[in-house]
Amino acid sequence: MAKPPPRKPKKKVCLFCQEKISYVDYKDTALLRKFISDRGKIRARRVTGNCTQHQRDVATAIKNAREMALLPYTSTAR
Amino acid sequence: MRRYELMVILDPALEERTVATSLDPFLGVIKSDGGSVEKVDVWGRRRLAYDIQKKSEGIYTVIDLTAEPATVKELDRQLNLNETILRTKVIRPEVH
Repeated sequence: MAKPPPRKPKKKVCLFCQEKISYVDYKDTALLRKFISDRGKIRARRVTGNCTQHQRDVATAIKNAREMALLPYTSTAR
Repeated sequence: MRRYELMVILDPALEERTVATSLDPFLGVIKSDGGSVEKVDVWGRRRLAYDIQKKSEGIYTVIDLTAEPATVKELDRQLNLNETILRTKVIRPEVH
């Protein structure tokens, strides 16, 4: 049995490091929506490809936006 | 003195045009304590992601200001006492 060839996933680069954005604004819902699933959950770092610091900033921004009803806590998109 | 960003969600029953003037008395606290209000940005009526106090809409306002920490705390307290204000949030953009 031959082993399947090893996968070489393309390394994602953090969007915020690329664009040199230092402050993730909780009011920018269009941007934050890229980092939540259709159920309203925050996407994991292995999905978004963000670096540790920016993933943390995004998570905080999403949580702030949720408190101000800009983003849903849950959405029953099913 | 520190820079703050204050977001306020107001009752959708209010008239959108009068919002800026109705917030003025609250912002008087800032001015009398030596702070300054840089910008009052009324976003207008917007759908809420979930109901707050049985309301599905709200009038969003973002205010940029510079003031002492204690002054902002007092402003936030007074805003929360008002029944036409659904929610407030004070943030220091520099910290993040």
